[in-house]
Amino acid sequence: MSPLTVLWVLPLVGAAACLVAGRFGREAAKICALVFGAAFFGAALTITILTGGAGSVSAAGAPLAFGVSYLLSADGLSLSLILLTAFLNLICVAASWKQDASAGYWAAFLALASALTGVFLARDLFLFYIFWEATLIPMFFIIGLWGSDNRRHAAVKFFLFTFAGSVLMLLALIALVVAKHSQTGVWTWDLAALKEAPVGAAGPWIFLGLLLGFGVKIPVVPLHTWLPDAHTEAPAAGSVMLAGVMLKMGLYGLIRVALPLFPAYAASWAPWLAGLAALNAVYGALCAMAQTDLKRLIAYSSIAHLGFCLLGVVSGAPQGVAGGALQMINHGITTGALFLLVGFLYERAHKRGLSDFGALAGRAPRMAFFFGFSILASIGLPGLNGFVGEFMCLSGIAHSPIPLLNLPVFAVAGAVGVTLAAAYALPAYQAVFWAPEGPDSVSSHVPDLDLREKSILWTLCALMLWIGLSPASWIALIEPSVRGIYR
Amino acid sequence: MSALSLLAPQCVLAAGVLCALGLGLFRRPSAVAVRVVALAVPLAALLVLRYAAPAELPPLLVVDVKSLFWQLAIILGALPLAYMASGDDVETALFLGSVLGMSLLTVAGNLPMLFVALEFMSLPAYLLVARAGEGDGAKRLEAAVKYFFAGALSGALFLLGMALYYAQTRSLGPTTLPLGPQGQAGVALMAAAALFKIGAVPLHWWLPDVYEAASPEVSGFLSTAMKSAAVLFLMRITALAPDPVFAAVLPGIGALTALVGAFLALRQERLQRLLAYSSLAHAGLLILGVGAWLALGRDAAAAASLVFYLAVYALLSNGAFLFIRASGVTTLRELRGYAARRPALAAAFAVLLFSLAGVPPNGGFVAKLLIFWQAVRASLAVPVVLAAASALVSLAYYLGMIRAMYFEDASGAAPAEGPSRAGLAVLICALGALILGAAPLLLNGFTAGVWK
Repeated sequence: MSPLTVLWVLPLVGAAACLVAGRFGREAAKICALVFGAAFFGAALTITILTGGAGSVSAAGAPLAFGVSYLLSADGLSLSLILLTAFLNLICVAASWKQDASAGYWAAFLALASALTGVFLARDLFLFYIFWEATLIPMFFIIGLWGSDNRRHAAVKFFLFTFAGSVLMLLALIALVVAKHSQTGVWTWDLAALKEAPVGAAGPWIFLGLLLGFGVKIPVVPLHTWLPDAHTEAPAAGSVMLAGVMLKMGLYGLIRVALPLFPAYAASWAPWLAGLAALNAVYGALCAMAQTDLKRLIAYSSIAHLGFCLLGVVSGAPQGVAGGALQMINHGITTGALFLLVGFLYERAHKRGLSDFGALAGRAPRMAFFFGFSILASIGLPGLNGFVGEFMCLSGIAHSPIPLLNLPVFAVAGAVGVTLAAAYALPAYQAVFWAPEGPDSVSSHVPDLDLREKSILWTLCALMLWIGLSPASWIALIEPSVRGIYR
Repeated sequence: MSALSLLAPQCVLAAGVLCALGLGLFRRPSAVAVRVVALAVPLAALLVLRYAAPAELPPLLVVDVKSLFWQLAIILGALPLAYMASGDDVETALFLGSVLGMSLLTVAGNLPMLFVALEFMSLPAYLLVARAGEGDGAKRLEAAVKYFFAGALSGALFLLGMALYYAQTRSLGPTTLPLGPQGQAGVALMAAAALFKIGAVPLHWWLPDVYEAASPEVSGFLSTAMKSAAVLFLMRITALAPDPVFAAVLPGIGALTALVGAFLALRQERLQRLLAYSSLAHAGLLILGVGAWLALGRDAAAAASLVFYLAVYALLSNGAFLFIRASGVTTLRELRGYAARRPALAAAFAVLLFSLAGVPPNGGFVAKLLIFWQAVRASLAVPVVLAAASALVSLAYYLGMIRAMYFEDASGAAPAEGPSRAGLAVLICALGALILGAAPLLLNGFTAGVWK
C-alpha cells in the first residue's frame, strides 16, 4: 500500500474504530480519536519531512472503467494543506476533550479529515469529486447534531448550497471529459492528461461551471450566504475545520484544477475575478463591522480573508499564488484560534454577543492575551503570520503578468480591506475585554483558561509567530509546487 | 447453447407460477420458498448465461446478452418483494406471473409479442395492488381500479399505435422504410403508452395514488422492476422510428418529469407519497437517459448506463419502501428522532437517502453520473442542467428526512414496528448501494464487450 493511500485511509479507519470503541463508552471513543488523530498527524509530518516537499510522491493504480484511475500525488502544496488538516483535527480533538460527545462526534471529525486529505491528494478528477462531496456528509452531521440553537436549518442550508455548487462542478467536469474525448478519442479523468488537449467551444461554460463550484466553497460574494449561518451554528471545533480547511478546498480547486486547465481564460477573466476578490475583502470586512455576535463577526472576517487569498491566486504571479496558498494556512491557524477562543467563552458564559461582556481582561487575562495575539495576527501585524501572506498576495497582484491586474485599483482595494480589518477586529476586542462592564455583563461567570486550553492556544500562537518571523521554510514547501503547476 | 436453455429464466418463472397455484392443494403452503427459488434460479442462470452465445427464435423471441442484463435489473427489483410478502399462494402466482411478463418483454422480438408481455406483466400487478397488504382494503381497491384504467388506456394506445404502424409499413418489427405521417403517429402513440407506464409528466396522475395506497413492498416492486420493464419498453418502441423527433422530445419530457416530481415531493408529509414523487423524479432522469440513447444513435454505452441506473435504483427504492414496512413510520412527523430509537436501521435508511440523492460515494451517485455523462455526450445541455436542478431540489427532501431522523427530537409514541426481516432487507439494500458505488469500476470484465 502506498504511503499516500495510508494517509487518507488511516483517519477513515480511525473513524470506524471510534464507532466500535463507542460501544465501550464515550471515553474509549475519545481516546481512540486522539490516538488516530495523532497517528494521522505523525504520518503527514513524516511524509512531509521525508520528501521535504521538494520531490513528490505518488500512487497510481491500473485504470478502471470509464477512464477513471486511482491517481494520488502529493507535492508541497498538497502536503502543507494535509498538514494543516491533520494539525487542526488534532487541535479539535483536544479542544472538545471536555465535551461529553458520543462516538459519532469523534468519528465525524476523523471521516472529515480523511475526505479532506483525499481532496488534496487526488490527481484524478473523478476521485477528486468523490472526496470533495464526501466532506459534506460528516460536516452536515457535525453542524446538525452538535451545533447551537439554529443548527438544523444551518446544516441543511450548508449542504444544499455547497451541493448546488458541486453539481455544477460535476457537470463541468463531465463536459470537460467528453470534450477531451471528442478531441483525442480517449476517456480520461487524469488531471495531467486533461491539461494537454484543447477543449473547443464548450470551454467558457466548463470554466464557468468550475468557477461556480469552487466559488461557493471559497465563498466568493455573492455566493457566500451559507457561510455565516454554518460557521455560527457549528460547534467550535466544527467551525475550526469549516473555516480552517473546508473553505480552502475552493481555492485549492482553483489553483490545482480550474486555472491550470484553462490558462487562457484564467488570464482573460482575471480582472473580473480580481474584482470579485477585492469585493470579498471589502464587503466581508464591512459586514463584519456590523455584527454584534462575536462568532458571526469572525465568520464574516473569513470572507474578507479569503478575498485576499483569491486576489493572490488569480494574480498569476508565482509569489501571489504561493502567497495565497500560504495565507490559506495562516487563516486556518489564526481563525482556528479565534473560533476556539469564542468556543471557550461560550462554554463558560453561554453567550457570545459583543455587549454581553466587558472588562474581561481583568477576570481572564490569559484569554485576553491569546485573543489579542490572534486578533493581531489576523489583521496582519508585521512579525506575525497574517502579514506575510497578505504582503505576498498584494505583491503578487502588483507584479502580475496579466494586463489590467497590476492597476493600482486592486492593490488599493486590498489595502482598504487591511484597514477595515483593524476597524472591525479591534473594537470587538475592546468591547469584550477592555470596555467597562454593562448592566447585562456575564463577564463574572468567565473563569480563565485551564492548562489544556492554554497548551492548545500556545501551540497555535507559536505557529503564528514561527510563520511570521521565518516564513522561508513554508514558502520553500509551497512555492516550488506552485511553479510546477503553472509551468 | 440451444435457444431454449437461454430461455431458462422464463421457464423457471413459469414453473414457479404453476407451483404456486398448485400449493393450495397442500396443507402447509410455503409460498415464500417458491418465490425465492423461482427468482434465485433465474438470477443464477443469468450470471452463467452472460457468457453464452445469443440465439433467436424468429420472429417472436430474441435472446441476446443485453436482454439478460435487463432481466438482471428486473429480478433485482423483484427480489425484496419475493422475500417480504405474505405466504399467500395466489399473491405468489400473481407476483411471479408479473415478473414472467417483464422477463418476456426483454426478449420480445416483435410488436404483438411485446403487447402480450406488456399485458402479462400489468394484469397481475393491478391485482397485487388491490390484494397485497393489510389494513384499509377500500383505499387499495380504489388505487387498483385507477391503476387498471391507466393501464387499459395505455394498452389501447399501444394497440392503436401498432395498427397505424402496421397499416403503413406492413411490418410488426423494425422497418427500413421511411415512416410517413401514419407510421409516425403509430410510433408516437405506442411511445405514449410506454410513457404512461413509466409515469412521465403529464401522464403521471395515477402514479402517486397507486404508490401511496399499495403496500410498501408492492410499491417498491412497481417503482423498480416495473419501471425497468417500462423503460425497456420505451426504448423498444422509440427504436422503431429512426427520425430524430423522439430524440428531441424525450429529453424535454424527462427534464420536466424530473422537475415536477422533485417539486411535488417537497410538499409531502406522508412518506410513501413522498417516495412516489421521488420515484417520478428518478423516472424523469431515466427518460432523459433514453433520449440521450436515441440522440447518440442507440448507443450501447448509453443503454448500459440505463441498465446500471435501474439496477442501483432497484436496491435504493426497494430499500426505502421496505424501511416504511420495517419501521412502521408513515409520516415525516413520526420519523422524528428515529435515529435514537433504532440507530442501525436509521443509518441504513440515511445511506439509502444519500444514495437516492446522488451524494457520493455510493451507487446512486455513479448511476446519476452515468446518465448525466450520456446526456452531455448527446449535447443535451439544457435538459441536463434542468435535471441537475431537479437533483438539487430532491436533495432538499432527502435531507429533510435525514434531518427529521437525526436532528429532531421524537414526538409522540413510537409506531408499531414491522417484521425484523424487513429491517434486514433494508440493511442489505443499503450495503448493496454502497458496494455498487465501486462495482461499475470493478465489474469491467463482466460487462466488457456486451455493450459495444
